[in-house]
Amino acid sequence: MRPFVYEQPTEISTAAAMASRFTRRDDQPTRANAQFIAGGTNLADYMKLGVAQPDRLLDLNRLADPGLRQIRVTDDGIRFGALVRMGEAADHPDVKRRYPVIADSLKLAASGQIRNMASLAGNILQRTRCEYFRETSWACNKRVPGSGCAAMEGFNRQHAVLGASDACIATYHGDFAQALMALDAIVHAEGARGARNIPFAKLHRQPGDTPHIETDLAADEIITAIEVPAIPWARRSLYLKIRDRESYAFALASAAVALDLDGDGVREARIALGGLATVPWRAGKAEEVLQGKPLDEHSATIAADAAFADAVPRQHNAFKTELGKRTLVRALLETRDMKV
Amino acid sequence: MDAAAPRPKDNQGEPLPRVDGRLKVTGQAHYPADLPTGNIAYGALATSSIAKGKVTKLHLDDARAVPGLLDIVTYGDMDKVEKPKFGNSGATSVGPLHDRIIFHDGQIIALAVAETFEAAEEAAQLIRAEYEEEKPTATFDSPGTATIPAAGKSPLFKEDVKAGDFDAAYAGAAVKIDQRYSTPTQHHNPIELFSTTAFWQGDQLVVHEPSQNVTGWKVELARQLKMDPGKVRIVSPFIGGAFGSKGPMTPRTAIVAVAAKRLGRPVRCVTSRMQAFGTQTYRAETRHRIQIGAGKDGRIAAFAHEGWEVTSRPDSYVVGGTSATGRMYDYGSILTHVSLVQADRNTPGYMRSPPETPYVYALENAMDEMAVALGMDPVEFRRINEPKTEPIGKKPFSSRSLIQCYDQAAEAFGWAKRDPKVGAMRDRDWLVGMGCATAIYPTAVAPCAARVRLTVDGDVRLQCGSHEIGTGVRTVAAQMASERLGVGIDKISVEMGDSSLPPAPVSGGSISTASVCSAVLKACDAVRAKLYAGATAEGGPLAGSHNDELDLADGKIVAKSGASAKVEDVIKTMQVGAIEEYAEFAPKGATPEALKKLYAGTPEFHGGEQDEDSVKYAFGAEFVEVRINRYTREIRVPRLVGAFAAGRIMNTRTARSQLMGGMIWGIGQALHEATEIDRRYARYVNRDLQDYLVPVNADIKDLQVILVPEIDHAVNPAGVKGLGELGNVGTAAAVASAVYHATGKRIRDLPIRIEQLLA
Amino acid sequence: MSQPSALSATGLNRRSFMTGTASAAAAVPLLGSPVKAEAAHGSGAELRQPVVTSLRINKQSYELSIDPRTSLLDVLRDHAGLTGTKKGCDHGQCGACTVLVDGKRVLSCLSFAVMNGGKEVTTIEGLASSDGALHPMQQAFIDHDAFQCGYCTPGQIMSAIGCVNEGHAQSEGDIREYMSGNICRCAAYPNIVAAIMQARDETKGA
Repeated sequence: MRPFVYEQPTEISTAAAMASRFTRRDDQPTRANAQFIAGGTNLADYMKLGVAQPDRLLDLNRLADPGLRQIRVTDDGIRFGALVRMGEAADHPDVKRRYPVIADSLKLAASGQIRNMASLAGNILQRTRCEYFRETSWACNKRVPGSGCAAMEGFNRQHAVLGASDACIATYHGDFAQALMALDAIVHAEGARGARNIPFAKLHRQPGDTPHIETDLAADEIITAIEVPAIPWARRSLYLKIRDRESYAFALASAAVALDLDGDGVREARIALGGLATVPWRAGKAEEVLQGKPLDEHSATIAADAAFADAVPRQHNAFKTELGKRTLVRALLETRDMKV
Repeated sequence: MDAAAPRPKDNQGEPLPRVDGRLKVTGQAHYPADLPTGNIAYGALATSSIAKGKVTKLHLDDARAVPGLLDIVTYGDMDKVEKPKFGNSGATSVGPLHDRIIFHDGQIIALAVAETFEAAEEAAQLIRAEYEEEKPTATFDSPGTATIPAAGKSPLFKEDVKAGDFDAAYAGAAVKIDQRYSTPTQHHNPIELFSTTAFWQGDQLVVHEPSQNVTGWKVELARQLKMDPGKVRIVSPFIGGAFGSKGPMTPRTAIVAVAAKRLGRPVRCVTSRMQAFGTQTYRAETRHRIQIGAGKDGRIAAFAHEGWEVTSRPDSYVVGGTSATGRMYDYGSILTHVSLVQADRNTPGYMRSPPETPYVYALENAMDEMAVALGMDPVEFRRINEPKTEPIGKKPFSSRSLIQCYDQAAEAFGWAKRDPKVGAMRDRDWLVGMGCATAIYPTAVAPCAARVRLTVDGDVRLQCGSHEIGTGVRTVAAQMASERLGVGIDKISVEMGDSSLPPAPVSGGSISTASVCSAVLKACDAVRAKLYAGATAEGGPLAGSHNDELDLADGKIVAKSGASAKVEDVIKTMQVGAIEEYAEFAPKGATPEALKKLYAGTPEFHGGEQDEDSVKYAFGAEFVEVRINRYTREIRVPRLVGAFAAGRIMNTRTARSQLMGGMIWGIGQALHEATEIDRRYARYVNRDLQDYLVPVNADIKDLQVILVPEIDHAVNPAGVKGLGELGNVGTAAAVASAVYHATGKRIRDLPIRIEQLLA
Repeated sequence: MSQPSALSATGLNRRSFMTGTASAAAAVPLLGSPVKAEAAHGSGAELRQPVVTSLRINKQSYELSIDPRTSLLDVLRDHAGLTGTKKGCDHGQCGACTVLVDGKRVLSCLSFAVMNGGKEVTTIEGLASSDGALHPMQQAFIDHDAFQCGYCTPGQIMSAIGCVNEGHAQSEGDIREYMSGNICRCAAYPNIVAAIMQARDETKGA
């Protein structure tokens, strides 16, 4: 690991100013000299591996603003402070009751220990677990722009079939983000040049020709909160995660589903897919297919086919298209059958 | 009584809690990297990022500039040291710093040593190599492999076994199968990281390193460093899981020893999880072709098993599991052949039941297919083909309780409730399947020495250079001494894991309990004999009694007459403070050199199929229930039952735990474990516990182990068969059988994964 | 690059801590002197400076002068001499390094020690009472043979205590799921679950 200077700012504005001071305007947050740390579960791992090399670490855990550590439930929805830990949010009674998809996505992620450490904001910003990204001796366009992609023709069982490019097929592995994607969450960020709100769908960037650009954030911007709008029917929602073993593994495929039903008919469907795409993935086409139709295995299958119409399989991940479809069908039917 | 402590049946010992349990739950059990060592310097490895070629240049300047950097050991620095030897004590013949040739991915290219772990890691990451790269050969089907016959390439695999006229019998069989199976590369991944701590005390070298073979390593390390073995000491009091990975010594040990000498201070190098994939051994991938021909009555007439195993270019590592599969059933005729396939890889090595895990998996999956082809219940099919004698040499089995295992496991599992029709069993959205398979493991034993001291206070000190890798060997050795000396277990202290103790064989091949207990028994009996002599001597408390009329229990020597004397009083009358005996146990059939070889770190193994009088194996039967989601096809194993017979069980608690752990290993083999190789570069891809999946707690629900009573006096004086490796032999085939039952899909390539069941 | 003093009004000012740190644990090895570091890298003396941090470990205070890169795990093992906490992967994949920080189970390998300043860390060595009586979870692990090699055991026990404290030990199924972050390669899982069931009701926090 490269050496670094450790700082503990106590105000968001100071933290942003520090970051601004030690980074250039166009630095990517993941490549900047100064980087923020909260839980550390992702960043410390990547620093040890030499993938992340900040020489200044700004620890956000001493920030004084109490809102950063609160979950506030209002008529407008729910607001998660950025420093709330995954485990706290997963166990929160209102989250479990009003947004089961959020609670499930958090509970099925990582392990008890990691959920106690990882902040919600850090979790949504977690970087890919692509083996070729993790190990610095491989060619990787995300890690070293222009160096090539060893995964493309390598062992790519866990890689993305949706949203990939010729430069990168690395999967976004987070779970919580899929729930936020489905529920149209808003991310609040504050930087040296002020505060702004980012629709969750705009936070992550598909790799395209620039896989090293992972999010819309600037290097001095700190996520302060995540807001989920009030969706009364989100009580009928779930997160289904399919993986090789029963727990403590990344998704081979996952689906975050929320349904507004009128009898068996779908008034509105919200669908996001995990473990299959390069970024948190909203399956808009599948949602459209279902709208106004009765939900049964047949319609769910048509929706799933629509969701994967543009899937591009590689050698070892070809099964993910079929698995993704079946995961979505199962998730839709299980959501339909929820007793709420 | 709780599940962890089964009530002992015939020929089974008490489920005493582990004698080192308290140390382990309080953090006071010291594994080698925990042992306090003052003024330590930290080492970190730099390893190659290519699998074949030559290092043309090493850039060390950036590393040397790291503050706190003390030394870099690399090419040229090991020239005065002998290259490693491949064999029982050596993992590979590659001396990674002896020349600049790269034989495999992850080969050591340098060791950076610094004042702190952080500085050493930083420096190691800054070492850059330039290579003259050649196109490497990764594995089966890669261009450039060389295939050679395995027989004779290893002292443990002398020949391809055969019997009768296979071709004729197979041609004439009414029902046949001819199928191919495969198993993947696997790494042991014990949770303890591989580490070496070395320091010099004058001309003496002390190494703290997790080892299953301290005596062998002492000798091999002394050879490499051109030293008197008496001046090398390997210390390994607790080992954090081994499974074969800590049997052979790797080149790192000598490199760290050299670094410690150059610096004149202790050096500790803890290998990272990623680096361990290339610097340690592993289970090589295998392929199998199995042909079985049988009559319509289910009697097998012909069996052929051809195996292929990957090995490295420089070393011929062979497992050759056909010697076990060829003796499993009453085949009629047998034909086997094993080939080695050489590729640009690190040298494979022992991993829990090395031959049986892949070969018996293939055989048992084929047996299940054959039962289906015959329309026969798979248990019945095995019952029909149960041999009276071993089918190749026609020797008797010393004992064979396979059918009892099947009967008891089937009963506990509820096999009778299984609907044999494929896909017939369902639970809502889950397809249910049930399957079974046989487990087999050869019973071997090796020479072993032990020292036992009984003091006047009734304390027993037991010393033996064996290894506590989690098997409970300290506990069963103490139990043996407790039984033979009539002393409570709390009065016994056991010292192990140090090459300065009486030598024991490598803790591999499931021989430790048998070998150690036989030596302890012999030492205790010698102590006993001295005690008896003291008791019955003129003026002794039991003068006039004969030795064979005496018994020793609860700290007293009791004569048939009813007269008794306290052990402490007997020792007092002998006018000594303690009685101490050093015993050397050599198994029946041992060569005249057997004991000498024990001290040389090259112990003879006896048993299995090698003995004149009988063949010696332990057996078991495993049953599993699988559930497969009707949509998404993930596979779960909510229920396992295994019944095993392994001669005398010293301690039902530790025995059950080992078998349970083995069965769960089998789940890993069936469903999870595979080291993936990037075929273009011959490099491992998933080199950590994030991507190399092993079972976690949530994967295991209902698991039952049945210890089937068995008495076998032929195997060794302790009457013990090994069981550390037996448990994981049958599981994977049982899972394959159950997956077929649930889905109608016969999966022949491990691990069985979602993608194989989606199509 | 600017001098850090302009911004160090917030958080720790390392220099002021560096003065008067005579009480730092004797065993703490310092990296090369700041002067040497500056000469080597020229990117500011601050980059290689040790940071002084105060930790409470098993109810004892430690004032440590450490390389900020040092993980909490390595501080426990190499600086505080508490080797009961184990390194199994160093990347948050196995759970062997689990300790309690302010009562919550965390992975000490993924936590820089400096981030734990002022916090209360409990390790396996801090469980048994001073008279040697084992914590109920420790005793339950012995009773149910919930380990073989014992290497993952300190992490399992700390995680089990955390799991019970969190209220995630309501059923065997719960325990299996919430204990899945602790890999036991010897695979003592069913025994671990039985041990936690036994100790659950006797455990009132570590």
